[in-house]
Amino acid sequence: MSEALVYSLILVAYLLVLVLVGLITSRRTKSVEDFYLGGRQIGPWVTALSFVAAYFSSVVIVGGGGFGYMFGMSTLWIGAINVLLGCTVAWIVLGPRIRTFTQRLKTMTVPGFIGERYRSNFACIFSAVIIVLFMIIYNVSILKGMGHIFEVLMNVPYVYGVLISCVIILFYVSIGGYLAVVWTSFIQAWVMGIGLIVLTIFAVQRVGGIASANQALASIDPGLLNTPGVWGWPGLISYALIVSFGVWGMPQLVVRFYSIKNLKVLKIGTVVATIGTCMALLPYFNGALARTLFPSLGSPDLAIPTLVKTILSPFGAAIVLAGVVAAGMSTFSSVLIILSGSMIQDIMKKGVKKELTREKSLFWGKIGSAVIGFVSLAIALRPPALVLTLTAFAWAVIASTTLWPILFGIYWKGVTKSGCVASMVGGFVTALVWMAAGKPFGIHGFIPGIIVGFVLMILVSRFTPKFSSDHIHRIWG
Amino acid sequence: MGPFHTPWLTFFAWIVALGCVLFSVIWAIWIYKPGDEDE
Repeated sequence: MSEALVYSLILVAYLLVLVLVGLITSRRTKSVEDFYLGGRQIGPWVTALSFVAAYFSSVVIVGGGGFGYMFGMSTLWIGAINVLLGCTVAWIVLGPRIRTFTQRLKTMTVPGFIGERYRSNFACIFSAVIIVLFMIIYNVSILKGMGHIFEVLMNVPYVYGVLISCVIILFYVSIGGYLAVVWTSFIQAWVMGIGLIVLTIFAVQRVGGIASANQALASIDPGLLNTPGVWGWPGLISYALIVSFGVWGMPQLVVRFYSIKNLKVLKIGTVVATIGTCMALLPYFNGALARTLFPSLGSPDLAIPTLVKTILSPFGAAIVLAGVVAAGMSTFSSVLIILSGSMIQDIMKKGVKKELTREKSLFWGKIGSAVIGFVSLAIALRPPALVLTLTAFAWAVIASTTLWPILFGIYWKGVTKSGCVASMVGGFVTALVWMAAGKPFGIHGFIPGIIVGFVLMILVSRFTPKFSSDHIHRIWG
Repeated sequence: MGPFHTPWLTFFAWIVALGCVLFSVIWAIWIYKPGDEDE
């Protein structure tokens, strides 16, 4: 059987499973809360592994391999901080309170929570607009990444790769909503995990064991083996913080805590998510191993694709390819449902003041996700330079805007509406200006963004009117 | 030098990941009690 046929068969089988999940879940999606949160009845395994799948896009797997290739084994720390801050601590600190408070406030989206918690339509709409605008850009970058993966690994033209991925995702998100997203993401997490483990086993075997790979790396440059090595502490720590602490403000991940069945289930979910996130170390590890096998690749981003093509059989390569595609699809679909929620539930209902019946909300939610998907697709087919530039801003800007209103909103009873607005606007403007200024001192915009947001939240809250005890009682119970 | 000729500081990244798994189990079984979030 030819290589292309094996790739195609496995990929088609995988895509058919996703379509099937979409069809099955569509029967269980009857209300708006079903569409956006799966009726808040999602179990621990599905919630946890869909969190892991949404966390890691294909860009992270391919790009992580590139970092490992460039900077060596010290990049394992990025994966370790992902597990520590991006998963375990995030689940423990955010999970229980977000699950409880969002149910009490009857909110389904991150902007919705911010709006209700701070009794501010402005905060709700502002965060929704930022999320819609920058998440579409983030989605375009994910689609672009998937298009390139099809191109490099299967020789499928970029445009077809983007089209196939987007149409399948749009199908199951539009009909199955959040249930389809979490169930497909659950499957995708397994595909990703198996793909990465298969790749790692064969890569270690090919380099003659970990010890000999380490010796080979050290002979190229001892900095590829040491920590912080050739990257240095500032670069390593700031990058690890962005992709770990930044998660705390990313709506497509935070919303997983809204939908989990109950707090007992959340405990199991924390353990499962932590185990699943450990796969974050593998792209970096494989990238470093690739350096010993192919020391002079044209681009570091070719590390994982080259490793896959060189050391695996067509069957093994197809599984890894499916894993990489799965990583992109799960993140894209998670973002899509968030965007639909922000647009319909927050901007349309609160911004435009358009009253919708439950049936119409569900209908417009489906239409919204389709429209946003097609907009992302249209841009991704021929992404203009501006979109590519803004992609680098997206993560920093969204996290700088939403992180503190979420965190303070669930831990500090004394935080005020003005404090929230000042923090959001200040964090957003600082991150955007910093990134536009070309990242002075080599520091990513997320760092000044969250520092300014933090200071403004505390200072302004100290000197502005507090919420009534009734409102606080409504949230804290 | 740690296991597999890995410097200890680099190898510690694996230990941190494993430590998180152990801590999450301890948290889930012994530390967290549903209802704590209301305090």
